[in-house]
Amino acid sequence: MLKLTGRADTSGLTEPVADDVWRVCLPDAPGTADSRVGAEDPDGSLACLLRDGQTAPPGYGLYLKTGDEAVMAGPLGPGLSGMPGSVLRLGPDLAHLEAGDIIHVPEDGRRVTVLWKNSARHNGLLLTEQCDNYCLMCSQPPKDREDSWLFDRARKVISLLPEGARAISLTGGEPTLHADALIGLLEHCKLVAPGLSVHLLSNGRRFADPEFTRRYAAVGLADIMAGIPVYAPEPGLHDFIVQAAGAFDETIHGILNLASLGQAVEIRVVVQRHTVPVLAGLATFIARNLPFVAQVALMGLEMTGLARPNSSLVWADPADYQGELAEAVDILTTAGITTRIYNHQLCVLDRRLWSYAVRSISDWKNDYLDICRSCSVRDACGGVFTTSGNRLSQYLRPVS
Amino acid sequence: MKLERAATMLPAHGWQLLPLRFHRIDPGSLVLTNLVGEHVFVTPDELSTVVDGTCADQELLARLRAAHLIQVPGETLPAELLAIKLRTRMRRLQDSTGLHIFVVTLRCEHTCRYCQVSRQAAAKSEFDMTEEAARRALELAFRSPSPQLKIELQGGEPLLNFPLVRWIVAEASRMNKEYGKDLEFVIATNLALLDEEILDFCAKEQIHISTSLDGPQDLHNSNRRRPGRDSWQQAVAGIRRVQDRLGTDRVSALMTTTDASLSRAAEIIDTYAELGLRGVFLRPISPYGFALRRRGGANYDVDRWLEFYEAGLGQIVELNRQGVPMVEIYASIIAKKILTNADPCYVDLTSPAGIGIGALVYNYDGEIYASDEGRMLAEMGDRTFRLGNVHDSSYADVMLSDSLLNPLTESITLSAPMCTTCAFEPYCGADPVFHHATMGDFTGHKALSAFCRRNMGVFTLLLRKMRDDPYFCDLMRRWTQ
Repeated sequence: MLKLTGRADTSGLTEPVADDVWRVCLPDAPGTADSRVGAEDPDGSLACLLRDGQTAPPGYGLYLKTGDEAVMAGPLGPGLSGMPGSVLRLGPDLAHLEAGDIIHVPEDGRRVTVLWKNSARHNGLLLTEQCDNYCLMCSQPPKDREDSWLFDRARKVISLLPEGARAISLTGGEPTLHADALIGLLEHCKLVAPGLSVHLLSNGRRFADPEFTRRYAAVGLADIMAGIPVYAPEPGLHDFIVQAAGAFDETIHGILNLASLGQAVEIRVVVQRHTVPVLAGLATFIARNLPFVAQVALMGLEMTGLARPNSSLVWADPADYQGELAEAVDILTTAGITTRIYNHQLCVLDRRLWSYAVRSISDWKNDYLDICRSCSVRDACGGVFTTSGNRLSQYLRPVS
Repeated sequence: MKLERAATMLPAHGWQLLPLRFHRIDPGSLVLTNLVGEHVFVTPDELSTVVDGTCADQELLARLRAAHLIQVPGETLPAELLAIKLRTRMRRLQDSTGLHIFVVTLRCEHTCRYCQVSRQAAAKSEFDMTEEAARRALELAFRSPSPQLKIELQGGEPLLNFPLVRWIVAEASRMNKEYGKDLEFVIATNLALLDEEILDFCAKEQIHISTSLDGPQDLHNSNRRRPGRDSWQQAVAGIRRVQDRLGTDRVSALMTTTDASLSRAAEIIDTYAELGLRGVFLRPISPYGFALRRRGGANYDVDRWLEFYEAGLGQIVELNRQGVPMVEIYASIIAKKILTNADPCYVDLTSPAGIGIGALVYNYDGEIYASDEGRMLAEMGDRTFRLGNVHDSSYADVMLSDSLLNPLTESITLSAPMCTTCAFEPYCGADPVFHHATMGDFTGHKALSAFCRRNMGVFTLLLRKMRDDPYFCDLMRRWTQ
């Protein structure tokens, strides 16, 4: 598991940190300020990462020191004097920082947060915490407060993305609640990172508005997919799970509108207590009504956020629903629909389903248990959510 | 929690019926189907409460709502989705006529008991199609809107006129440079005349071989007679040669069911399995041609055939359970109709009927027929389904002829008496040639129709098995692929 935040020693700061979003570069690659970032792009800021013994080249707005020298106590310890600018000394939690990572640094420099981990399989940007659904098992509970700075920050991150950046998830909250900001961000993406694969997580309701969907499609990003949850094959149960009357109707209309404009849609199904009995029915509904979707993701619960207080309402042990899961996979795959299983540990997954399992839990929130040490398929397994605490399957065991 | 579960459930009388039909599949159980064949099994009592608005079973109501059998007044999504599904199912109609059958000769060296066309001594070349007739037929075939074009070369025994087979393949390939269609060739042959030259040709042109295999040796040879009484041996050797040379997926076999077949379903299927054939088509015998008039084994009734079908299907399922993959092709066609929005366009089980718009037949003499069965009727003197002649009919003459449009419009299941109220309508089809041949009427009286009785029997059997046996249900899903 990677730590995404860590404290920094600010004794080497000569002035308040000039910017909040920085891309990490190495000193031995002076031209690191690549074509995407430069004078013409005011969003861009580069921080130079120094390891032990490295001397700092001039010209960077911020210097980051890691390694033994960084943790040595005392203000302006060896190696910090004579620096060409402000220096932050990072603790061991952030020793994993490397060129291409993008970090957030507040003005006082005390806490560094990683917004983009270049080596990670998944990188997500939170665009808002507001949402018009209130799903029983939401892992990121909505907050009804002004947070437009999140869109501004996301824009900076996208400006700073390293050359090789391949894929990004845009998440919320519900990003489409801020239609203009979202369309603007997507247009910015197209301008500065046209090759980026964008995965927009949305409840899909806003796409029921044909005009919004038209604007979304008109951005013309080459590789964008909307990941939209559908939890039941009819409105009664879906609307209950998302705690919003009329949501199913809008979500399905949204998916149809997206499809009619040739936009890729992924359907995301969280497998929980209410959805287990309707999994086959939902798979049939998708196969009959939405067979054009790019893929269906059948996702295990992350027991955090609202899923914790609602634990007794939503928890289902994966070991107890393998039959239902296998039937849903059969229905979808025989209908020619690409199907993936997320967030399920291999030891509780029917072996027949292993080929559909994806190591989907992000690097910064996955972990393995002590009993996983002797497991023969540990490396192929996504492990467990650290965020789920102790709420894990009763049946986890090493596979021999 | 803002929204209680109860608030999202359907109150009494809180729903209305979408167009639905039902059929009893056994004493305690009905199947309900919607416009596009989505289905739910219910008891008669459950259906009564759903219809009179007193149903309190939320789980059942949710399933009916998901399958677009009921909706809440005022919602539009179910009708929109039904419309999309129906449109998907009907989309094939704009791509008409994918199959073009060329009777390259009427000659045959077999004298099968059930043969549906008059056979001729193998030397009489006046029963061969000419290059000129074939060229005109190809010109008509390429006019079809269908992006896929399957050209089936049959007879008689087409290998008796192999030079024309070669010519047609070359000419069609040449013409296709201009049309760019997905072009496919099939030779329907008994394989007795197969030789290296023909195999080379089939390998080079990627031609599919369709042959006849009625089952075990004694059954096959008593049905399919030729000098030497070795039809089965020739067919089996031919199948193996094609499999070795062209690949196992390049040869398929069709069986014809006779009286003598009815007690031997399992043996027939085992014969196919031993040859490594992956598909068996358990077909009824057709009421055309010689089979109708002579002792061709056609005098069994539908119920006995259904028993045969059930036994054969059971054997195929058993083989699959044992790890031998095998498909019953009729069931696989119906599986697609039950489980998907696609219509596999099987010409004998689709509505509007497959005549003309699904297949066209060019006879050796240049006459054009709406189906192979229509050609057989003509051999018996009934030219009802003759659409024209390659030498003097234009494409418009053929496709807009009354001989085609009348039987098509009179037999559409969505408007045919008794079809409109039948729960199986989305799975079934119109067969105006059969009903004309047996009843003198394109629509037919469904209560007396053997077509209807047979297919309803098959649908009932398949649905019952799908309901009762998860393995069979899974198999049907795999057969849709």
